[in-house]
Amino acid sequence: MSSGKLNLSLDGWAVALALLLALLVRLNIFLKIPW
Amino acid sequence: MTTSVAIEQPKSNSLSSCVFSFIPGVILLAAIGYAGKFIEQSVSRYGKSHHLSLPNIEYVLWAILIGLAISNTVRIPELFKAGIVTYEFWLKVGIVLLGARFLLGDVIKLGGLSLALVVIELALAIVLMTALGRVFKLSPKLTTLLAVGSSICGVSAIIAAKGAIDADDEDSSLAIAAILALGAIALFTFPFIGHLLGMSNHAYGLWSGLAVDNTAEAVAAGALYSDAAGKIAVLAKTARNAMIGFVVLGYAIYWASKGQAQTVHNKALFLWQKFPKFVLGFLLISILATAGAFDRDQIASLGNLSRWAFLLTFAGVGLRTNLREMRKQGLRPFIVGALGEIVIAAVTLGLVLGADRVFHLS
Repeated sequence: MSSGKLNLSLDGWAVALALLLALLVRLNIFLKIPW
Repeated sequence: MTTSVAIEQPKSNSLSSCVFSFIPGVILLAAIGYAGKFIEQSVSRYGKSHHLSLPNIEYVLWAILIGLAISNTVRIPELFKAGIVTYEFWLKVGIVLLGARFLLGDVIKLGGLSLALVVIELALAIVLMTALGRVFKLSPKLTTLLAVGSSICGVSAIIAAKGAIDADDEDSSLAIAAILALGAIALFTFPFIGHLLGMSNHAYGLWSGLAVDNTAEAVAAGALYSDAAGKIAVLAKTARNAMIGFVVLGYAIYWASKGQAQTVHNKALFLWQKFPKFVLGFLLISILATAGAFDRDQIASLGNLSRWAFLLTFAGVGLRTNLREMRKQGLRPFIVGALGEIVIAAVTLGLVLGADRVFHLS
């Protein structure tokens, strides 16, 4: 999964997405996520 | 676990076309996972409204069963395949997000205990698989791959070891098929044994994290027991995955000393390359949660996001398990794997029950 300079492993992409989601939740952009 | 192996690389280098190629398969994973959740809720509602005591079959099992039914009855169109294999990506996203539900103290306490048990499990698995491989006259490199797969983290560990010891493709696919077949069997036997023995959520979660090989199956086997057990299974399995570099490095040095693999010059770099980076993400989120970066509602939201990610994973576990393909693989690697796994499961069960009595895990 690479594009030019953007070259992360599967783990790298997974951590990046998880941290982005955590940030969105922290900033209350994602309000209560239901289950 | 550092690989990008599970995701087939699309021919185009463009990031957008790469992302688009995953969409149909990811939608299929989401549809199957959500169908599992819908069926669980519908059965529960029907039982309540008709005053019936119906067995509570978790969404995890429904999602796996629907996936299994599809992959073993119809030929999945090529269009979906790139997206289906992202289930391993969603597994890692889910594990990192689950870090929010662990205080760092719990990670150190339970992770430390898991690591101590993992070291015993690693030694046992490696010695046992090597002995069984010799008895059943498997090739030495196939035996190494089975030992790595059963001692650490299944398919990812086998793929990481394959390059390091210069194993051939046939040995790798035999070892992967054996580990996947045994993981599928564990999904149905582990919860049954756990209930039979009346194990606590903590003890059962620790056991499935230590004894089930592939990370997706270990998490699913834990979640099939209970939500709490699934959480502990993730922690124990993550501790086990963290050891991958050391075991693969050991084998790489062994095979290089025999002149059958390339010499490892920079051992620290090798360990870093093989280290599963998602473990660091899990620890980072746990540290942030412990430091009070998230309030209670936000932690609940992160926990729920993690469950949605696991939902896609469980659908992928079912879709990936093709019983016809597994039957085509050799019987001897499967027998060696099965015998080894039974002994490992029994010994780790004894260890966990012992630790439960000493440390009162629940």
